[in-house]
Amino acid sequence: MFNRTLASFSLVAAMFLGVGSAAAGWPEKPIKFVVPYSTGGGFDTYVRAIAPEMEKILGVQVIPENIPGAGGQKGSATVYRSKPDGYTIGIMNIPGLTVPPLLGKKVSYNLDDMTWIGNLAKSTYAIAVKADSPINSLKELCSLGRPAKFSDTGPTSTSSVTSQISMALIDCPITNVTGYKGSSGATVAVMRGEVDATLKPISSLRKYVKSGDMKFIVTFESTPSLEGVPSSRDLGYEEFEKLTLYRIVGAPPGLPSDIRKKLSDALYQAATSAAVKEWSKKSKKPLEPMDSAEATKVMGELSGFYAKYKSILAN
Amino acid sequence: MGVETFLQAAVEVFSSGSVVFVFLGVLLGLCFGIIPGLGGTTALALLIPITFTMDSLDAMYLAGGVMGATSFGGSITAILLNTPGTAPNAATSFDGYPLAQQGKAGLAIGASASASALGGLLGLITLMMFIPLAKEIVLLFGPVEFLLLTLLGLVAIAVSARGKLLRGLIAGGFGLMLAFVGVDTMSGETRFTLDTDYLWDGIPLVPTLTGLFAISQMIELSLKGGAVASKIENIGRISGMWDGVKAVFVNWTVLIRGSIIGTIIGAIPGLGGTVASFIAYTSTVQASRDPSSFGRGNIIGVIAPESANNAKDGGSLVPTVAFGIPGSAETAVFLGILVLHGIDPGPTLLLENEREIYGLIIALTLSAVGASVIGLLTARWLVRITFVNVNILVPLVVTISLTGVYVLQGKPGDVLLALIMGIFGYLMIRFDYPRLTLVIALVLGETAERSFHQSLLISDYNLVGLIMDRPQAIILVLATVLTLLLPALRKRAKKTA
Repeated sequence: MFNRTLASFSLVAAMFLGVGSAAAGWPEKPIKFVVPYSTGGGFDTYVRAIAPEMEKILGVQVIPENIPGAGGQKGSATVYRSKPDGYTIGIMNIPGLTVPPLLGKKVSYNLDDMTWIGNLAKSTYAIAVKADSPINSLKELCSLGRPAKFSDTGPTSTSSVTSQISMALIDCPITNVTGYKGSSGATVAVMRGEVDATLKPISSLRKYVKSGDMKFIVTFESTPSLEGVPSSRDLGYEEFEKLTLYRIVGAPPGLPSDIRKKLSDALYQAATSAAVKEWSKKSKKPLEPMDSAEATKVMGELSGFYAKYKSILAN
Repeated sequence: MGVETFLQAAVEVFSSGSVVFVFLGVLLGLCFGIIPGLGGTTALALLIPITFTMDSLDAMYLAGGVMGATSFGGSITAILLNTPGTAPNAATSFDGYPLAQQGKAGLAIGASASASALGGLLGLITLMMFIPLAKEIVLLFGPVEFLLLTLLGLVAIAVSARGKLLRGLIAGGFGLMLAFVGVDTMSGETRFTLDTDYLWDGIPLVPTLTGLFAISQMIELSLKGGAVASKIENIGRISGMWDGVKAVFVNWTVLIRGSIIGTIIGAIPGLGGTVASFIAYTSTVQASRDPSSFGRGNIIGVIAPESANNAKDGGSLVPTVAFGIPGSAETAVFLGILVLHGIDPGPTLLLENEREIYGLIIALTLSAVGASVIGLLTARWLVRITFVNVNILVPLVVTISLTGVYVLQGKPGDVLLALIMGIFGYLMIRFDYPRLTLVIALVLGETAERSFHQSLLISDYNLVGLIMDRPQAIILVLATVLTLLLPALRKRAKKTA
């Protein structure tokens, strides 16, 4: 009798402890921050800059773990399948991950029920041509009398998807030559003259413009940030602004809301800390921190946005 | 700029005491090089997170130390165990291992050490000379040149398999088939992935190489029993190292040719040290008056690939300083270290980060020499590996190399692949099919396919017109034709003589 009472008592206690540890005690062990790309890439760099600041805020280790493969899908699937206990989070490439399932590809994640913790940065795209090219505007690029040739990495890369959608929107015929290694490989292809233009984030094109090898013809934003270069809104293409690269942070589906809040706060604080701001300035890596609520809203809008262009992408 | 900056950087490395980082890198590089399955890429990948808190220049010293030392380290196992420590050493085992079996391992290691050091230095001197022209050089090579270069490589494969042409072609064809597994970079479709996402990124190179060269050789050894060097009476005569060093100077033309090939191929992204040393080896065999002496312990067969795979380090920095494009797997990881330190690789890299680039060149220079000196000093003991009984040797090598395979990406599938390739490689040894031919085709297949598609698209499906417009492409076509015809022409010349 006594034994049974004790047993049920401890069972109840265990249940309470179990529930309690999901939130109250969190975090009590190191947090794994998954980077679905190799060490030394853009996503990796952001995480490695943020992680030490998150450690200070949360009081536990935040360990970046690189799980590269399948264009970032492998690491993202790892996060998706992890236990929603707040000890596994990951940085994700949007719309890089949004597009494959739209095209009917089998993927091991579902962005619709992932828990979004926040966003670190947004990259604004721009189109650039060779510095001594006779092409000086988007209009000239689109009226060559033949499809304009673009260079890019993979056909499902975020920049490829962006060129296809944006140019289809304005009925500008293009041939997208893919297979170049990295954004530098694609940019050098323009400099060799084998393609006409490339679409890449401003941050990665800027250095080639500075070195006098390339020139911008349009940026995908509302107010122009570069002197003498029209923004897409200036040209009357408002939709282009939505085509940006997000470095968003997610966690497995079903993460308890109190842990989610703590993670969101920690990430936001870290991203706005003096140390990270200093790093961002020094290494010219733009920051655009968002908290959990804002990131979730953005993700909701984006899945509808890209779904509209399914037929363009299927070609 | 140039020499002055170089000397200034050299003084800095010694005066600041940072030379310690180079030395650490060399030791690490040697160890990772010697152990099959581990290589420079693995070492650097593991180091990246550690360098995050270091000064960017010290990180360069460490990386340079590692990069300059691995390929010499790898030649030691290639010679002693017929198991290349890193992929670029595969060609070294063709003549290095027969030498070890004859008890002349000291000679081979001596030759490898000095060929590595001198090849490395020649590559770096070439780099320094061409830095001002780096941009122009990189712009010369577009997709169509890549395509022609891979064709040249594939033709070299066919020609190199003297007397075993058909077997060589079969192995090469199989390598090409493996190269096409995974996501097609042009269409984005996945091919031959057996419905597993493991195969999405294609057949990974490191596990394949470890299986084909290390595991298979261990299977072969354990079935044979005994030890690598059968002649126990040779134990006393391990010396001969200095004869090896001397042999490099006597055969200086081989050294120069190997270094030039290494530098050029190193400068071309996607080809790398394995292809460089292989082409250096085959061209040396072709140029030789006595091709049949190769594969049986000709010291020249060690000098050619070892000078090439060290010279490639200098070459692979050409696209790096020009545009921030990595010329090799190691430079790709090295660029990652730069990015982590807030340096954005690009066309202004050399202008804005001269300090880091010259730091790396200094480290590579010191490492090329340092690794060889350490190698020569320790060879006496290393050589004893060949007398170790296989019952001890095999489990050790298998365990360490499989661990290395797992560490690089942390994928269990990689270990499984290495084991499968090990069994496959053993069958290739048994039935006398060339394994390196398969590997070269695997390396070249992806580049060949990609640049073929790109060439078609950029030329609006007029490939011939594109080639005729570009003198550098025409030269490559001629080189390919010449490589193909050379053996036949030579045979004919012999007959008429």
